[in-house]
Amino acid sequence: MKDLLTKINNLATQKYGAHYAEARAQKLNKTMLTLKEERVEAAKQGIENGVAIRVLVNGAWGFASVGSFDIAILAAAVSDACKMAKTASVRLKKPIKLAATNAIEDKVVSKPKKNPADVQMEEKLKTALTINENALRFDSRIKSCSIDYYDLNGKSFFINSEGSSIEQDKLCVWARITASAMEDGAFTFSREEIGSTAGYELFDNQLPEILGEKVAKRAIQQLSAIPPKGGKFPVVLGPNVVGVFVHEAFGHLAEADLALSGGVLASNLGRKIGSDLVTFYDDGTIEGTFGAFKYDDEGVPSQKTLLIKNGVVSGLMHNRETAHKFEVDPTGNARAEDFRVEPIIRMRCTYMAPRDQTFEELIKDVKTGYFFKSFRGGQANLDGTFQVGIQEGYEIHNGEIGVPVRNASISGNALETLHKVDAVGKDFMLDPGRCGKGQIAFICDGGPHIRVSEVVVGGSA
Amino acid sequence: MAVLEDNIMMQLAENAVKASLKKGAQEAEAYVYEGQATNIGIELGQISKTNRIIDRGLGIRVIVNKTIGFAYTNITDDPQAVEKVAEKALSAARASKPDNDWRGLPQEKLYPKTKRTFDQKIVDLTSEDIVKIASTMLDAAGEVDKRVFPVEGGVGGGYISGAIANSSGISGFDKGTIIECSVATLGKENHLVTPVCFEFNASREYNLDPEWVGREAAKLAASAIKTRSVETTSAKVIFTQFALQELLGYTLTNAIKADNVQRGQSPFKDKIGEKVASENLTIYDDGLFESGLRTSIFDGEGVPHQKTPVIEKGVLRNFLYDNYSAKKDSKESTGNASRAGYLSTPSIDTTNFHVIPGNKTSDEMLREVDDGLIVYFLQGAHSSNPVSGEFSVVATPAWKIEKGEITHCSRGVMLAGNVFELLKNVNVVGCNERQMGSLIAPWIMVENVRIVGK
Repeated sequence: MKDLLTKINNLATQKYGAHYAEARAQKLNKTMLTLKEERVEAAKQGIENGVAIRVLVNGAWGFASVGSFDIAILAAAVSDACKMAKTASVRLKKPIKLAATNAIEDKVVSKPKKNPADVQMEEKLKTALTINENALRFDSRIKSCSIDYYDLNGKSFFINSEGSSIEQDKLCVWARITASAMEDGAFTFSREEIGSTAGYELFDNQLPEILGEKVAKRAIQQLSAIPPKGGKFPVVLGPNVVGVFVHEAFGHLAEADLALSGGVLASNLGRKIGSDLVTFYDDGTIEGTFGAFKYDDEGVPSQKTLLIKNGVVSGLMHNRETAHKFEVDPTGNARAEDFRVEPIIRMRCTYMAPRDQTFEELIKDVKTGYFFKSFRGGQANLDGTFQVGIQEGYEIHNGEIGVPVRNASISGNALETLHKVDAVGKDFMLDPGRCGKGQIAFICDGGPHIRVSEVVVGGSA
Repeated sequence: MAVLEDNIMMQLAENAVKASLKKGAQEAEAYVYEGQATNIGIELGQISKTNRIIDRGLGIRVIVNKTIGFAYTNITDDPQAVEKVAEKALSAARASKPDNDWRGLPQEKLYPKTKRTFDQKIVDLTSEDIVKIASTMLDAAGEVDKRVFPVEGGVGGGYISGAIANSSGISGFDKGTIIECSVATLGKENHLVTPVCFEFNASREYNLDPEWVGREAAKLAASAIKTRSVETTSAKVIFTQFALQELLGYTLTNAIKADNVQRGQSPFKDKIGEKVASENLTIYDDGLFESGLRTSIFDGEGVPHQKTPVIEKGVLRNFLYDNYSAKKDSKESTGNASRAGYLSTPSIDTTNFHVIPGNKTSDEMLREVDDGLIVYFLQGAHSSNPVSGEFSVVATPAWKIEKGEITHCSRGVMLAGNVFELLKNVNVVGCNERQMGSLIAPWIMVENVRIVGK
C-alpha cells in the first residue's frame, strides 16, 4: 500500500506540478443493526475500500476520492485533482500554505479487549435485544424503543509528499437507544448514546440491562413533567448539558476555520470572554474515548489543546492550513469521516475543567431556577447564538430539586453566558456523541456540574 | 472516469440477485448505485478548494425464513467481491431474528415517466464552468454592501444513477443530474457580527442564477446588521421555506410516515379523514414532480414513484408507505422507500413534499401583517418533540413587520409552541413556491405564534 500511495503522490508532485500531495487509503468493515421494539429491521455488514487524494497546486486544494486501489484509476484521479486545483487557483488572492510539521513514520495498532470484528453477529443482536427488552418492560406506558448499533474495524494508511507514512487501526463501537412513552395524550421520549474507541468491552461497563432501564425511566418521568416558565433564570447544568454547551455554543467558534469565516472568536483571542471559573480543553488523547486518535488525517499528532484558561481565550483548534494563517502549530484537529471526504477541522473530546464545588453547594443558593441534567439537541451560530434543548430537567425551589420539566430549552449568546458561570463543580463526566459539519465525526464532550447565574429558558408555556 | 452504462449496472444487480438465491436466499434484492460529483468550495470569500468524488457500490438484501440480512460493498469490478457480499448478507440474515410481519419483496409494476431530471450538460461540466459560476456568485455577493462578506459556499454538479433488481421480477434503472450553488454571508460592523445568512439555487438542469444567489445572500446579511429587540407577544409570523423546512422536517414529516404511525409514534394515528390542519393547507408527496430535486422513476425498493395526497384542505388523506409497512396495513406501497445510496436498507421518507401554493405574492402577504415577524433561519428545531410537536426555537435572526413593511432585524427571538397547532393556524399560503431539498413550498403565514422577545 505504501508503494502505491507514494507513486500517486509522486505523480502529483513530479508530473502535475503539485507542491504538496497526500494519499489516504482505507479498508473499513462495518456492522450495523437497527431494532425497533422486538423487531430486528436489518442486520447489516459492509465493506468499503477507497483512496482519498489531496494536492496543493498553485495554492489551491484539489481533492479526489475513488473506491478503488487500482493504479490506473488512482492515476486518473490524481490528474483530475491537480487539474481542478490549477483551474481554481486562477482567482486566488491568498494562496493556501501549510504550517510545517515533522515527517512521521509510525504504525498504530489498537488493542481492544474484545475486538468487535471477533464478536459474532448473534452476540451483538443479543446485546441490542437485551437493551430493548429492558426498556420495553420497564413500564407499560413505554410505547417504543429503537436501537441503532454500529461498529467499525479497519485500517487507514496515510502517506504524504513530505515523508510521513502512518498506518493506523480504526476501531469504534457505538449505539443509540431511543424510547418513547405515552399517557393521556402526552408523548415523551428519551435518548441515550454510548460509544468507545476501545472495543466491544464497552458493554461490560455499560450493561445492556441498565442502559435499557435508564432510557425508559427518563421517558416515564417526563410524562408527569410540567412545561417550564419562559424567561431568565439561574440554572444548574449537569455534565451532559455542559458538554453540549461547550461543544455547540463555544467549541464550533473555536474551530479556526469557522473563526476565520467571521466567527466571533477570531477578534477575541487573548481576551477575557468568561468568568475566572471557565477553562475549556479539546483533548484527543484520552484513550478509549470517542474522538480519541493518535494522528489526525493530515498526519499531525493528536494533543490536549487549551481553548480557554480562567475565562481568557487561549487557543483555537487548527489544521495545517489555519495554523499557518495564525502562525501557530497545528493541533491535530484535521479529521475526515472516511476516504470520500476531505479532512476538516473537527473537535475531539471537548470539555470544561472541574473546580471545587459539590452539587449541593451549586443548588443551595438558587431560589427559583432549573436543574438541566440531560440534553436533547443543540445548535449554534457563528455570532455566538446558541440553543440547547433539554430532555431531562427539574425545577429548583429554595435550593432544592423540585418537579421535572419537559421540552425546555436554553438559549443566548455564548460569550455573554460564559461570563455568567458563577460556580463550577468538582465532579466530571464525559459523554460520546456525533457531530455533523457536512460530515459526521465521533466526538466526546462533558465537564462538571456548573451554575449559570442567568440564562433564557424557553418552553412552550 | 466514465459513468457506468445502464446495462452494466442492471447486469450487476441481476447477477447479485442470482448469486444470493443460489447461495440459499429465499428472496433477494440488489441495489447498485453510482454517484459522480465535481465541486468547488469557497472559503474566506475565495475559491480555494475543488473535489471530485466517485462513489459506486452494491447493496444486497436477502430474506431467509423471514429473517432479513443486508450487506454492501464498494468493490464492484470483482465478481468474487459480489459473491462475498451475498454471503455476508446471508450470514447476517441467519444470525438475525425472524420478522413474522414480513410478507415478501415488492412485485414488478409498470414504471411512470419523469420529466426534466437529467441534463447531459451537467455530466459534461468542466472545472472551468464551475469556477465561472462561483465567481459570478461571489462578485454579486461582494457588490451589495461594504459591510457584508461572502464567507463560504460552493458550486457542485453531480450525476447519480441507480439500478435495482429483485427476485419478484423488479428490474429498473434510472439516472439523474443535479447542480447547485450556495453562498453564506456575514455582515460586520464594529465588533458586531450578524448570524450567517444563506442563499442557494439547486436544479436538475443546467439553469442556475448565481448572480441572484450572491445578491440575495448579501442583502439578507446587510439587513441583519442593525437590530432592535422585539416584545414578548403572540403575533402573525411569516415562515419562509428555510424556516418551514426546519419546523416540518422534525415533526410533520415524521408524523405521516406509516412505520411511525404503526408504532404509535405519530399524533395522526387513526386520524385519516379528519381535519388536522387549516383548510388553507394542501400537501402532496410527489415523487414525479417535474424537475423535482427528489424526482425519479422508482423508490429504493424499485416501487414506482407516485403523487400521494397527504393533506387536502386540512384533511389528513394518506400516510407514506414502503413495501413492508404497506403490507402490514394491507395497503400498497406509496413508493416512499428511501435509500442512502448502496450503504443502507430502505427506510420511509418523503420524496418531494409539496405544499400546494396559494395565490398571494410575497408583497401581498407582508401587507397583511400589521405587527408580526418574518423568519428565515431557525436554530434548534431538531430538538422539537417529534411526536407531540412541541418546539422552542431561536430565529437567527427574525425581521419585524410593521404595517405591512419589514422594519428591522431582531436577534435572539425565540418562537415556541406546537407544530401541529401551528398547522391549524395557517391563514395565508403564498404563491412564491421554491424547492429546498425534499420540500417544495411557498411562504406561509401563521396566526397567533408565541414570540419570546429578548
